[in-house]
This record gives sequence, C-alpha cells and structure tokens, in this order.
Amino acid sequence: MNSPSTAAPQVSAAESIDLRQSADPRRILADRVRQLYSQMPLAIVGSFLISAIAAYELREGRFVEIVVFWAGLVVLLTLACAGLYWGYRKSARKIEEAAQWLRWLGISALAIGATWGFAGAVFFPSHADEQQVFLALVISLLVAAGIPIYAVSWPIYAAYAAGILFPFTYVLATFGNKLFAEIALIVPAFYLLNVGIAYRLNGVFDSGFRLRHAYGKLTEDYTALNQRLEQQLVELEEARRQVEASGRKLALFAERSPIAVFEFDPAGRILSANPAAETLFGFSSREMVGRPGTDTLFPSGAKDDIRARWRSLIQSREPVFGLRLSNTRRDGAEITCEWSLTPLVNPENLVISVIVQGRDITQQLEAERMKQEFTSTLSHELRTPLTSIIGSLQLINSGVLGEIEKDTLELTTIAERNGQRLLDLINDILDVEKIESGKLTLFPEVLDLGELVNESLALNRGFADGFKVRLATAGELAQVRVNADRKRLLQVMTNLLSNAAKFSPEGSVVDVTLENIDGGKVRVGVHDCGPGIPEDFRDRIFGRFAQADMSYTRQKGGTGLGLSICKRLLEMMGGRIGFSGREGSGTTFWFELPQQA
Amino acid sequence: MPAQALNRICYVEDDEDIQRIVRMSLERVGKMTVEVVGDPLVAIDRIIAFKPDLVMLDWMMPGMDGPTLYRKMLETPETKSMPVVFITAKASQRELDELRKLGAAGTISKPFSPKDLPEQLRAIWQALP
Repeated sequence: MNSPSTAAPQVSAAESIDLRQSADPRRILADRVRQLYSQMPLAIVGSFLISAIAAYELREGRFVEIVVFWAGLVVLLTLACAGLYWGYRKSARKIEEAAQWLRWLGISALAIGATWGFAGAVFFPSHADEQQVFLALVISLLVAAGIPIYAVSWPIYAAYAAGILFPFTYVLATFGNKLFAEIALIVPAFYLLNVGIAYRLNGVFDSGFRLRHAYGKLTEDYTALNQRLEQQLVELEEARRQVEASGRKLALFAERSPIAVFEFDPAGRILSANPAAETLFGFSSREMVGRPGTDTLFPSGAKDDIRARWRSLIQSREPVFGLRLSNTRRDGAEITCEWSLTPLVNPENLVISVIVQGRDITQQLEAERMKQEFTSTLSHELRTPLTSIIGSLQLINSGVLGEIEKDTLELTTIAERNGQRLLDLINDILDVEKIESGKLTLFPEVLDLGELVNESLALNRGFADGFKVRLATAGELAQVRVNADRKRLLQVMTNLLSNAAKFSPEGSVVDVTLENIDGGKVRVGVHDCGPGIPEDFRDRIFGRFAQADMSYTRQKGGTGLGLSICKRLLEMMGGRIGFSGREGSGTTFWFELPQQA
Repeated sequence: MPAQALNRICYVEDDEDIQRIVRMSLERVGKMTVEVVGDPLVAIDRIIAFKPDLVMLDWMMPGMDGPTLYRKMLETPETKSMPVVFITAKASQRELDELRKLGAAGTISKPFSPKDLPEQLRAIWQALP
C-alpha cells in the first residue's frame, strides 16, 4: 500500500518530466547557442596560440611555403571566427535567429577542424619523428579540448573532430608503416568515443537548460498565481464589504418602509416583521415571531383558503404580486391588504423563506367605491335636468310650438348649444372614468366598416353644415369587415369628423378614405384643410384635456378629451390612431383596425 | 310589424318637467295620444285603464324603479304582452341587455331629443314582431 509519503516523490518525478517538457524549445535552443558562443573567445585564442606554436615547430621542414600558407589560413580563420563572435554579440535577434547562428558556428567549427586536418595530413608525412609525435599530440589535444567547447551541440563537435581526424587517419593508413596503419585503426574508435561523450554531454546540457527554463516558468507561474490570489483576496474583501453594506441597506429599507414586511419560513411561521407590520396589525414583532401567519393575521373563516394558497406558493416557488386578501388586526378589525409574496430559493431549489410585503388598501378600496358611486350618481343627477333643459330648448327651437321672435331664437339656440356642450363634457368625463377604472366593456360585432363610415358621415353632416364644411368620401368606399364595437366606433368617427369640421375653413371639404394596408389591416383617414397641428402640440395631442390653443375651446367647443378617448377605444379594439400633415397644410387623422376575414 | 300605426303611449315618469316635455314631443311632433303617470305604484291600474299601444318607463323612480315595474307588468295578464321601452340616464350595458332578454322592446337614453323621440318610438314599434 502506498503511503502518502512514498507516493509524493513519484508524483514529483512525473511532474519534473512534465516540467522539463513545458519549457519553450525556442528559448532552449537560444540558450544552447549562447553557451556555444560564450566559449568561442577561449577557443579562438587557444586555437591561435596552438597554431602559432605548431607553425614555429614545423618551420624547419621541407615545405616552408606550405607552413606559411597554413599559418595565413589560420590567421584568416581566426579573424573570421572573431568576426562571427562579434556579430553574434551585437545581434538583437539572438533568440529568433538562434538556428542561423548555430549553423554559422557549425561551419566555423568544421573550418577550424579542417584547417587542423590539413595540417595533420600535410605536415605529418613531411617531418621528422619528433615533430610527428608533436603533431599527433597536438591533434589529440585539439580533439579532446573540443569536447567541453562544442559538446552543447554534439553534431558540431562531430563535424569539428571529423575535420581534424579524417585527413589525419587517411595519411596514417596510407603511410606504409605498420604501426601507423594500426594507429589509423584506433583513431576512428577514438573519434567515436569522443562523439559519444559529446552526445551524452549534449543530453546533460539539454536537460539542464530545460530544467532552468521550466523552473523559470514555474517561478513566473507561481508569482502570477500569487498575484492573482492576492487580487482575488482584495476582490473578495470588497465583495464582502458590499454584501454587508447592501445587507445593512436592506435591513434599513425594511425597518423604515411604510409597507409591512414579513419573513415567513416554508411552514408559514413568521420569522421576522418590520415596524410597519407591527403598526398595521397591532402586534409587537416579538409576539408575532414563531407563530403561524394564518392564526395571527387572517380571519378564522379564511384559514383553509390561506393554507391552500400557501401550499401552492411553496410548491410553485413563483412570486405572487397584487394579491388582495382580508386580514384581521389585533383589535379584531377587518382590513383588506394587497400582498406580494417572494419565495427565496436556495441552489438546491428548496424554499428557504418567503418575503411577504403588504399594505392596507381598505381606505383606497372605500375611496374607489365612493368615487364610482359618486360618478354614477353624478351621471344620473346631471343628465336628468339636462334632459329637461335641452329637451325644452329643442322643442322651442324646432318651431313645433309656433314662430318665435328672432332675438329670442338666437338666445335659445345658444342655450341649447351650450347645454349640448355640457352634456358632451359629462359623457367624455364618464368615458374617461370608465376606461381608467377598467369598467368600460366593449360589445364587438363583425360589421362593414364602409357602411359604418357612411353612417357616421350622415350623422355628422348637420354638425358640419353649421361650420359650412362639406363631409365627403373619396369615391365609393370598399367593403371591409372588422370586429368592433359599433357604438364606440361611431363615437370615434364622430370625434374625428367633428374635429375636422371645426378646424376646416368655411367652404372646404373634409375627405374620408378607407384603404386596405399591409398586415391584414384597414385604415380610415379623415383629411381636413385646417391650420394643421402646431409642432409643440404634437406630442400631447392624444393626452387628456389636450387642445392646441385653449381659446379654441371657447370658440369651437370641445372638451379636449375626445382624442384620448378615441385612442383608448381603438387600442381596446386592437387598433391604433395617428395623424400626419404639416402645420399650415391640413391634417389627416387616421385609425387602423385588424381586418376580419 | 304590428298592423296599426303607433298611437297610444303611456309614460311612467316621476319628474314633472320631463313628463311635460315628453307629452309635448309626442303630442305636438308625433301627433300621438299620451297618458302620463307620475306614481309608479298606481301605474299598473292606469295602464290597464288606458290600454296603450306601447308603455314607456323611466328607470329610476321613487317607490318603485322601472325594471321592478316592468316585472310586475309581466306578472299581470292584461299588461304582460304590452311592448315596453325604457328611458334611462344610468343603466349599465349589462342591465340593459338583461332587460332586452326579459322582453323589453327597446331603450332610449337620457337626454333624448324631443324632436326625434316620436321617430325613435316608431322605429322600435315597427321592429316589433
């Protein structure tokens, strides 16, 4: 069985292999090249000195000219090598061009080796025994000394040593001396042994470079990791501070909130309650905590219903908003509250607790009821006397009761018109009230829009005549069916036509068009030749009590509610309303409705 | 459509001003014979006595409202088949629909135009089966 202590080194050995492999090969090559070039000054100086000594020793042979030639070659090569070394030192692209520098170094090594090989091949046969021994020794020395210098790249060393030994071996083998022939057999073995050593050393160097880089990278990684860790610690601390601050804020919100805020456990027991909840229900927080909400906050008759709602809330885990429920206070008074319930769910999808917010809407409901009652009464109480007023004036003005004097008729006509205006205003206000309270019900039916438009024109001709404006359709209207509330659509048409008539110049024509448009819709347009809609009024034209110029109200009548009612009515019928045209060049009010198949 | 033209109208209405306007409208404009009843509690007897072609009922009246009176008429053999038109300033569309279902011939909303009232009644009369 492996104990942790024995397992650890195995792991670290495996890691170290991985580590070495993780080093960047480009950087390793560059390191090797740098190592090779760093030995170059020693090699150049050493090689030059040995060459000088050798040239001095060998000067007395038969071929002095050749010795001089060789010495010159050595000098040239030394200069070339020094140049190469200088070039490398100055290079700014040592890493990127490492392979190229290695190639040049290999060539220089081969050239040095070959120069010595030339010396061995040429001077060995031509000299006396002592000099031959000297030469053999020098050659052996050079081959051996090449190992530490070139072993970082064994192929370079192999080329260098081959350059020295191969010509020399050839000369030994072909000298005609048995001893030399035997030595010639040993030299390749010596060569192979040296290349083998260089190869091993190359491996050792390589491994060393890899480790150095891997370690460097490890250190970098470690430093980066450390920095990241520190950064994360800072962020974590900041996050903690923020959470703490928002927690304090939340607590403050709940504490100061005018809305009652409770926290319930999933079983429906109160976990906490804010001061507004205490005020609303008359219990202290301490009295409420731990007790079931159903027993504390609800009338006894509603408990089963509340429990069922609670179970479905916990099951669905979905928040509930705007829930209106009857509640009881400590003093037994029944109130109506509007509640929002938000289950808090943990990552395992279980409900931890439920945040419940509620406000007392008893007074609001009572106010709404009173407002409705008031509106309804107002409607009746205003319409009844108006029936008498308008009815009487209409009978007088119609002439069925006999001729009346001109001035009187003028005044009774004014009285009738203003009675009608008052009635329009009451009707509009009642419509707005109904729309806003959601009490307006539409009675849609499939009807021919063309027919309805014609009917609306007939109904409003009398009104337009009063402004000396003619209402007309642009040609025969197409037969288009829509699903709409007949009475309310006539109300919309009446509104648009009466507006157009009121704002058109005397003697002009209000054109009504009906066309099919894209998206299966139909558009009715009412085009007038009026002054157009002022730029600054365009945004609020469909708002309530909207009139471009309040003096129009007095001149032309109207409540300023008509277009806002039209807009809402059309929206309720799935349509929309809009207008186009510029100030000073007439206006087209249009509405669109979905066409009925 | 009934065989004879609309002529005799009985109108139950508590507001004296409106009583007078409706009477004038129907008599002067519509050339009809009108019986006006101010108290809904005695209305059934007066309707039976007058034998109108059509009965007009106000919606809101002290003592008994129009719909209640209408139900009473439906329970009374002599009045149950008389066409009834409601004149109202208030009723919701749902209430009006309910009355139509019970058999009311039509509704006219307040304020109505006395100039057009006889025509409106004749249109309702002609639409009757």
